Amino acid sequence: MTPLLHTENLVRRFGGITAVNDCSIIVEEGSITGLIGPNGSGKTTLFNLITSIYKPDSGNVYLRQKKITQVPSHQLCHQGLSRTFQITRLFWDLSVLENMIVPVRQVGFRSLLGPGMHRYEEVRALDLLERVGLEHLKNQPARKLSFGQQKLLEFAAILMSEPDLVLLDEPAGGVNPTMIRFIMDLIRSLNQEGVTFLVVEHNMSVVMELCDHILVLDQGQKIAEGPPHIIQSDPIVLEAYLGD
Amino acid sequence: MGRIIRWWPLPVLILLLIYPWVYREPYFHVLGFNVLLFATMATSWNIMGGYTGYKSLGHSAFFGLGAYLVAIAANQLGWNPLWSSPILALVVTLVAFGLGWIMVRTSGSAFVIATIAMLLIFRLLALNLRGITNGAPGLSQPLPPWTPEFSRMPFYYYMLIWLIIAVATSAYIRHSRFGLGLLAMHDDEGKAEMVGVHTTLYKVLAFGVSAYFVGLGGGVWSYFSTHISPVFAFDIIVGVEMILMTMLGGLGTVWGPVLGAFIFIPASDLILFQFGSTTIHLAILGGLMIFILLFLPRGILPTISHWLEERRTPRTAHTGARSMAEMQDKRSAAVTSEIKPAGDYDPVIINNKQETL
Repeated sequence: MTPLLHTENLVRRFGGITAVNDCSIIVEEGSITGLIGPNGSGKTTLFNLITSIYKPDSGNVYLRQKKITQVPSHQLCHQGLSRTFQITRLFWDLSVLENMIVPVRQVGFRSLLGPGMHRYEEVRALDLLERVGLEHLKNQPARKLSFGQQKLLEFAAILMSEPDLVLLDEPAGGVNPTMIRFIMDLIRSLNQEGVTFLVVEHNMSVVMELCDHILVLDQGQKIAEGPPHIIQSDPIVLEAYLGD
Repeated sequence: MGRIIRWWPLPVLILLLIYPWVYREPYFHVLGFNVLLFATMATSWNIMGGYTGYKSLGHSAFFGLGAYLVAIAANQLGWNPLWSSPILALVVTLVAFGLGWIMVRTSGSAFVIATIAMLLIFRLLALNLRGITNGAPGLSQPLPPWTPEFSRMPFYYYMLIWLIIAVATSAYIRHSRFGLGLLAMHDDEGKAEMVGVHTTLYKVLAFGVSAYFVGLGGGVWSYFSTHISPVFAFDIIVGVEMILMTMLGGLGTVWGPVLGAFIFIPASDLILFQFGSTTIHLAILGGLMIFILLFLPRGILPTISHWLEERRTPRTAHTGARSMAEMQDKRSAAVTSEIKPAGDYDPVIINNKQETL
């Protein structure tokens, strides 16, 4: 296995607080890697560093051994890196189908003036919408969807850019058990098709069941990593969660 | 039926074509020209302010720049404004690209203030570069060659052509990949950036394009009024009126700015007549703006289409219940099982962390 994404000694400070402190992680190609840690341990900050929303104070991020530290967010999508947000973010006034079309890999001036939606893109979008059970809502504005449906739409939409690596920020947060099960199945089947996942999740049963490798962060540092059954009984991890 | 409705612009266009021959007094030709001029400029402003949501209050800068470029070219080089306006408006667009490249780095109210500052800078330049602009007295232009009784009609038809081109451009952008990116940015710029939209480039392009028809309108207006001065060419009210009529008709819609202009300009003329040449019509304009914001915050067209949509689809049609039920059908095997903890790990961890669920 080769690393698809790795970070090297990432540091990010906010005033006096070091949110991410000398953090080096590796995400193997084809894996579902979990990223866990107590609240405020730097998980989302790490996501924001990887996706260039924040600039690191020092350290680097590599995708396929290629440095992507200073690559603007909008280009990362074209290089195969996509993410969802902890609080679902959609284009609320656009239709479900239009939400699917925006994140299509596209570069160059000529495509800008082309039609808003190509036939093959629509076919692919409807395909993905059917997979998440939203195809009958394709012409509804995104704001009319229920919370769970919005989460599914956000997930489905980033798949339109055919990502190699997807960063999921709490995919199971705030959704009912049926939907959690559905999302887990979806992640697993996409993983079978070759998509690599890095997942932040607070729901431990989901993380333990879904991930084949887990990274544990505490106070901005990686304190442990390994397969789920090792992490569960790791005394350092338990201490981080339970406190002294 | 839907087919017939789609052809509605045609009878409207015919009405607009015969209008100057029905109402033959020069006043009506001036009014018609003003409506078409502002409809064109509001349509143009809407590409940036409506689609993208970056509301520029300084588009008068492009209006004045177009007016001055055309007047200077007419005086110094003898260029006829009717063909030089569309060409010199390209220069305005280039200037807007350059300024936009700086200004789109701000957002929200900072952007609005930056555009006002831009307008004031242009106004100061027009007042003080006396060698080029003749300062405060302004510039005069040669009169149009046609006979006085027809003097307004060519302007009317000329502006009608440009309104059609502007609306076609706006509609084309609205349905292109570019327009989809602009609308996406309007809803969530950070998210749009994350899914691969080059937001800075999109904003600069939209800003430049939205300056084009405003600059062109300024050029035609300078020929129409034969004399321009900094106070009138770089008047913030021109930009404010573009925004008002766009908001009245419907921000971010193709036809909203046009409808808004067709209501707003005659209405403000009526108000002006009622109160003579005082500035009270400005106060009434302000009152109208507050009225629109309070009672028609989305504008006429979006309000109507929302109303039609509500009537067409019963409220229960598109809620979560149906799709969840369908999903459960599809995945009946999966849903019957609750989430099972995998392996025996410390249950305290779950209890501790499930508060976020």
